[in-house]
Amino acid sequence: MNKLLGAQPKDAALSRTYLFVAFAALLLGGIMGLLQATERAGLFEMPSWFTYYQALTTHGIVLVVVLTAFFTIGYFYAALSHTLGGLLPKVRKMAWIGFALKIIGFVFVVIPVVMNKATVMYTFYPPMKASPYFYIGLVFIVLGVWMCAFGAFVQVATWRKNNRGQHLPILSFFATGVFVLLFFGSLGVTVEVLTLIPWAFGWTKTVNVMVSRTLFWSFGHTLVNIWYLTAVSAWYVVVPKVIGGRRFSDVLTRFVIIALVITNIPGGFHHQIIDPGMSQSLKFMHVFMSLVIGIPSMMTAYAMFSVFERRGRELGGKGLLGWFKKMPWGDVRFLAPFIAMVAFIPGGAGGIVQTTNQLNQVVHNTLWVVGHFHLTVGTSVILTFFGISYWLIPFVSKRVLTPRINKLGVIQTIFWTIGMLIMTVSMHISGLLGAPRRTSYTTYGDHAVAASWDPYTILVVIGAAFLLVGGALQLYAAYYLMFRAPKGHTEFPLAEAEENASATPYWTERWGRTIIVMLLLVAMAYVAPLVNFIANAPPGSPPFVTW
Amino acid sequence: MKQSVYGLVLFILLALPPVAGLMESLMIAHMHMQMPLLVASGFLMAKYGQIRFPRFWERWNDNGVPGILLFAIIAVYWMLPRAMDEALAFPGMEAFKFVSLSLLCGMPLRDSWPKIGYAAKSAVIIGFTLLFAGMGLLYVIAPVQLCNNYVLLEQIALGWGFLTTAFCMVIFIIYHLFTRHSAYE
Repeated sequence: MNKLLGAQPKDAALSRTYLFVAFAALLLGGIMGLLQATERAGLFEMPSWFTYYQALTTHGIVLVVVLTAFFTIGYFYAALSHTLGGLLPKVRKMAWIGFALKIIGFVFVVIPVVMNKATVMYTFYPPMKASPYFYIGLVFIVLGVWMCAFGAFVQVATWRKNNRGQHLPILSFFATGVFVLLFFGSLGVTVEVLTLIPWAFGWTKTVNVMVSRTLFWSFGHTLVNIWYLTAVSAWYVVVPKVIGGRRFSDVLTRFVIIALVITNIPGGFHHQIIDPGMSQSLKFMHVFMSLVIGIPSMMTAYAMFSVFERRGRELGGKGLLGWFKKMPWGDVRFLAPFIAMVAFIPGGAGGIVQTTNQLNQVVHNTLWVVGHFHLTVGTSVILTFFGISYWLIPFVSKRVLTPRINKLGVIQTIFWTIGMLIMTVSMHISGLLGAPRRTSYTTYGDHAVAASWDPYTILVVIGAAFLLVGGALQLYAAYYLMFRAPKGHTEFPLAEAEENASATPYWTERWGRTIIVMLLLVAMAYVAPLVNFIANAPPGSPPFVTW
Repeated sequence: MKQSVYGLVLFILLALPPVAGLMESLMIAHMHMQMPLLVASGFLMAKYGQIRFPRFWERWNDNGVPGILLFAIIAVYWMLPRAMDEALAFPGMEAFKFVSLSLLCGMPLRDSWPKIGYAAKSAVIIGFTLLFAGMGLLYVIAPVQLCNNYVLLEQIALGWGFLTTAFCMVIFIIYHLFTRHSAYE
């Protein structure tokens, strides 16, 4: 039914609104990014009424939280609606309530940031203290996300009741994994924020900084992998359809999702791998827990290139790499996610570097890290989101992707890729040379080492300029596809399972068990460090306003 | 059969001196990571035993009760603080730990679980939940070191590990009690 009629109008309006906010965030975040890069290179000085650090905080919150969260929820709610026969009225209502809670939360967050009362970066590490209303805003955002997660659970449970014994359609299976992670992953940060509110109001005097950091990263790292899982869903399900092929093994796909859900949250501690207060052996254990994520990632890499090769050979590709030429390079719905996948190869390798204790000591808190997440999030994830937008926006707007906008999308992808390539490579190199992250322009008293970073910071600005052009083209394309493109029917591209596929075992559907295993692993990972930080707690820190 | 190979690989990996040394350096990793993984290795290797020696399992573990009893006795034994100490002090006990948890705990668990009834399964799960909660309280509350090899703080961490595991098992029990699986499957 959905295939014939396209998106259901009320569900489409929901997804369209989420996507609209996501792209509005891209506009604001992108401008902030360029401002920072030019200030950091010493080309421009931010005014005293809106400092470099305010721009940095806004850039982080708007892109890392708003853009990704709204896109992910808009995309997966469209998927739930399409693959499960339309959203239930109560689920739609829950998603709208979630939307309202998140918007209220962002207003609470943004006002203190603009007033320079919450210049604490998006990680809001204590003992830096923001206005209490900033933290209250974060609570609303989390409540909004939970509302959407519970809505998705209700939708999936109802579908399963009405379709007993059947496997959940694969894209909804991805959605379930993502919403499970969004809910359980945000429990830690919720506890953190609830301890910070009384501290920020002055009702409690001190806060345990190490516990706060640990709770934050149990969420922070999970969030990273939520974006990744969202991108991966399009790689497995949508991209094969765009190239005219079939999906890779259904069993492997579901196994990858379950493995990512189970192993994700325990991976968070590697963000604190050079923090004090933890024994070396415990850190070593956490390295293993973090690197486990590499296994499903490697499976994904194999699966994707296998799908490409199979399809390329069907189209007549000969020889070792002849299939490569047969790919639809002129189709932005393929090109953007393909470049995203390729970017994940160096991105993932950089992640392994950062997860390793000794190597992390070289790059910790340098621009290397910034380069790393612009490669993973800014390229792998965002380019996939861009690729998705060229069919999802027309789908939910009941319009069509025109050849002209497709061409514009290809140009936009090229601009974005060149910009990110220049920017991330420069950031990685200057990080290796010791350039710190989260620091506005300084020559360190004309020190020679600081001077050696200059060529790279200039290159970062050049990269950022390319990105701004790419971002502007993307915004135009999103606007055109949402409001101006010719009316018509756009397909929701879902690839079929492979022929003669082996039956998928039913245990994959038992989410209750998957969640219990996940919680056990989380307990294994976090109990020891948290007990250590609480039992051996330092006196605690009073709040500091460092800006 | 592949499963048995994976189980053997896991067993060998866990027995490598640097891996064993690392896991045993932390009390919580010793009891809550190394030991369950050894059970898991035996669980995976059991497939080989079941295919290769079907008569043995049939004769010895026809209704699953002997196997599940053996599993419970070995598992409970390795929760004793003294047993952990001995494994660290005597190589013979260390070898017994590896052999018993994989062959006498993981393998019979695999063979017995499908054979035993709902009541026995419930008894095992509820019994271990209560045991974990009790052990957790013991390790958290005990004011003295229970193991010679681990300091008090490690013991408290292990206690919280037990309590969180018991908590997860309670969630599992509630999930089973309040979810009508027949409505979905």
